[in-house]
Amino acid sequence: MTTNSRFAPPRAAYIHVPFCRHRCGYCNFTLIAGRDDLVDSYLQAITRELSWLETPREVDTLFIGGGTPTHLTCEQLQQLCATITEWFPLADGHEASVEANPLDLTIEKVDLLASYGLNRISLGAQSFSASKLALLERDHRREQIVSAFEAARETMQSVSLDLIFGVPDETLDNWEIDLKLALGLSPDHVSTYGLMFERGTSFWSRLMKEDLTQVAEEVERQMYLAAIHRLTQADFEQYEVSNFARPGHRCRHNEVYWAGETYFAAGPGAARYIDGRRETNHRSTTTYLNRVLANQSPVAESETLDAEDSARERLVFGLRRLEGVDRGGFATATGFEIDQLVGKPLSKFAHAKLLEDDGSRIRMTQEGLLVSDSIWPEFLRR
Amino acid sequence: MAVPKVPQENIRNFCIVAHIDHGKSTLADRLLEQTGTVSSREMKQQLLDDMELERERGITIKARAVVLYYDRDGKTYELNLIDTPGHVDFHYEVSRSLTCCEGALLLVDAFQGVEAQTVANGFAAMEHNLAVVPVINKIDLSHARPDEVAEEMEHSLAVEQEAIVRVSAKAGIGIGELLDAIIDQIPPPSGDPSKPLQAMVFDSHYDDYRGAITYVRIMDGVVRKGQKIRFLKGESTHEVMELGQFAPQQRACEELRAGQVGYLVCNIKSIDDVHIGDTISLPGDNAAPALPGYKPPQRMVYCGLYPSDGQDFTELRDALTKLAINDPSFEFEAETSEALGFGFRCGFLGLLHMEIIQQRLEQESDIDLVQTAPNVTYEIVTKRGETLQIHRPQEVPDAGEIEEFRQPIVRVSLIQPTEYIGPVMKLCQDRRGVLNGQEYLSPTRTMLTYELPLAEVIYDLHDKLKSVTRGYGTMNYEVIGYFPADLARLDILVNGNRVDALSFICNKGDADRRGRAVVKTLKKEIERHMFEVAVQAAIGTRVIARETVSALRKNVTAKCYGGDISRKRKLWAKQKEGKKRMKSIGSVDIPQKAFMAVLDTGEGNKK
Repeated sequence: MTTNSRFAPPRAAYIHVPFCRHRCGYCNFTLIAGRDDLVDSYLQAITRELSWLETPREVDTLFIGGGTPTHLTCEQLQQLCATITEWFPLADGHEASVEANPLDLTIEKVDLLASYGLNRISLGAQSFSASKLALLERDHRREQIVSAFEAARETMQSVSLDLIFGVPDETLDNWEIDLKLALGLSPDHVSTYGLMFERGTSFWSRLMKEDLTQVAEEVERQMYLAAIHRLTQADFEQYEVSNFARPGHRCRHNEVYWAGETYFAAGPGAARYIDGRRETNHRSTTTYLNRVLANQSPVAESETLDAEDSARERLVFGLRRLEGVDRGGFATATGFEIDQLVGKPLSKFAHAKLLEDDGSRIRMTQEGLLVSDSIWPEFLRR
Repeated sequence: MAVPKVPQENIRNFCIVAHIDHGKSTLADRLLEQTGTVSSREMKQQLLDDMELERERGITIKARAVVLYYDRDGKTYELNLIDTPGHVDFHYEVSRSLTCCEGALLLVDAFQGVEAQTVANGFAAMEHNLAVVPVINKIDLSHARPDEVAEEMEHSLAVEQEAIVRVSAKAGIGIGELLDAIIDQIPPPSGDPSKPLQAMVFDSHYDDYRGAITYVRIMDGVVRKGQKIRFLKGESTHEVMELGQFAPQQRACEELRAGQVGYLVCNIKSIDDVHIGDTISLPGDNAAPALPGYKPPQRMVYCGLYPSDGQDFTELRDALTKLAINDPSFEFEAETSEALGFGFRCGFLGLLHMEIIQQRLEQESDIDLVQTAPNVTYEIVTKRGETLQIHRPQEVPDAGEIEEFRQPIVRVSLIQPTEYIGPVMKLCQDRRGVLNGQEYLSPTRTMLTYELPLAEVIYDLHDKLKSVTRGYGTMNYEVIGYFPADLARLDILVNGNRVDALSFICNKGDADRRGRAVVKTLKKEIERHMFEVAVQAAIGTRVIARETVSALRKNVTAKCYGGDISRKRKLWAKQKEGKKRMKSIGSVDIPQKAFMAVLDTGEGNKK
């Protein structure tokens, strides 16, 4: 493989664990429910896929996501952590996150994870309201969020909560209560996601059948603004569209994605970015297993962006971060001047107060961020 | 097959006139087969496919001519079948065919019965003094009702029921009797071969290798290979390189004599040098007089065609030029619109013709088009006494300069089962129609005649008629002239900017309803922007309707991590591509479909 000087070797790694107890109605992630019999093959396949790295690669950040990584038994989880850290030894000062489901996260599992250097838990709380959790088809209750949170809090350096808003029939008041209860736990980090109806989910078909109704856009807007307001009031910094952190608790791994830096990945549906090439593994767990165990590449899609497209992409994902993009830094990293790429739309949006431009740094205004999906097309090409 | 030499008294020139889908093509095929012109094996590949292609392409339906030979009682007859298109838009092509014939088969479906084009084409044949052979087709269908249909034909077309030949073109029933009727009832052509050459040019097409192919009917005299001929109107002289007949492919021969139909190849490089309706005679003083010729096709419908990407202007011009070569009834000229930039104003025979041309443009070239709503040609008499032809709404002068605003009025015949007469009358009255007549063709079928503004007819009358009559209603129309009406130009403003390509002309009495309907449709078509978009309809400075496209309030992807990045970038880049297909006016993106919104009549909102 030729090395592209524009791209440094990855210092980040993502591992996908596809197993779940069941599939929630809104979820379109790569996962497989009720097939715990495949876990052993999966562990074998992950080990095989990682061995293709040939030599261990030290990383600064690691993220084990899913699916539900904590759905694995202690023994399976231990095997997984061992193989991952064998191939991705953690550097000093590392950040190593794992996604967890409140129902599965026991003290034993937290201790096990910690023993392998995992120091950050992202807890899929979603809501504290029983009816909202039921509608989302989640299998946990409020008390289980609290106990899982407390278990993680003991050992982990950083604990994050995921929250969903804009669920059918949810009111602004309901959402404010969720935010208040979340803040009551004093998490280090919060991610808030407006519910999306994705094709291929049961929520999508229910929406089409008018069995579910989307929350009005204006209400969703108010909810999002309420989250920003509540969280920033509680000394959280909004550092990306959906992410809020107490000082020193940003998710460094996710920042790698948004900064256009490179990363390794393994597991079904996992995406890597190495040497300017993006590759995504097959989303079907069984296909992934069959391919890897037959020593075939699990890659289903790949693309190599040319210099300009990757510069434009870096601009867009950079602007989704509240600190924005620095002209000088951007030119150094990409070889393109921002104004040369998007001068015209840039001044149009600045004029409309959708972004701020002080001459050196460009960042979105709150209003701009709110409608940013309508802005990005103008920064990209074909 | 040896070509027999047929005396003039054994020649019959005829066409088949029918309503669309009454089996004209099948009958033509059967005649070709029964006379051995085309073997049954060749049959399918040849004529049928060819015609299907033509039917799909519509406008290239040419007044084609095929020669058939038929032996009866020891004599050989030469039967020239000149085909005619069936749709109302191509009415002028029908009359072209009729002038080349002495007789017409008037074909009616044994189930559908007499329909609007049956009547229109039947009368046209009679006006040309043709011998009409009435034919009922599809008599083998289980639901055929030939006796009732015969009665309808007698009522509406004054043909005698005993004279009607009953056939099934599909099953080959009655074809022999029909051939007998053609020979017995249609007179032979009356021309004199000893007189100076006089030939009618009734069509032409362009062949990439041989240049223009001219279709002729020889009225008097003889034309031979190598002879010099003169186009009287075109004022050009040519040598005949090749001549022949269609059998159905071109088959060269040595001469064409008075009464015959065929083609000439004269090394003519441009189709523009061949004028349909021209007379061919001899060069010099001995020329025959010119024939009356044809009325030029009247373009009734105009619309603007613009490349969505301004860069494609030249490409679009080339594509239009190519189309116009084999379709002289289509015309175009360059125009500019403030909203759409450089494009072309195009004239068509009717709405179907317009659709066909647009479809062909899209199929044959790779240009994204923005089409403005079609409009008819209006006439304006100014205070200074000038008469202006208004091909597009932007040309309408200020109200103060207008003495009289005139619109084209058509006489529409509508034929439908009597039970639907109420809804059909309502349809016409809603469109400011004036009832001219009502006639019972049979106990179950009625013909209504209305005078209607052409503008009200072209947009959707045919569709609406089909829908209120469950598909059984048919219509035909002819222009009767221009008449004054209370008309005005309605403008559409988007965020205060007038969009010239959205202006349209309507009756002042309908302006409020039309204006409201159009802004409502535009509101649906224009996507939400990051700001509010006001859509207004106005006459002069008076705003008569307004709708607001509310601003986007929240549109942001929440989750964007490793695997989402490629997917999202592709999605957003695709949206950019979609935006390119829209026209940006001010900073408002208007999708192509919106330019057709002005056709929305707002009938749904009527009480």
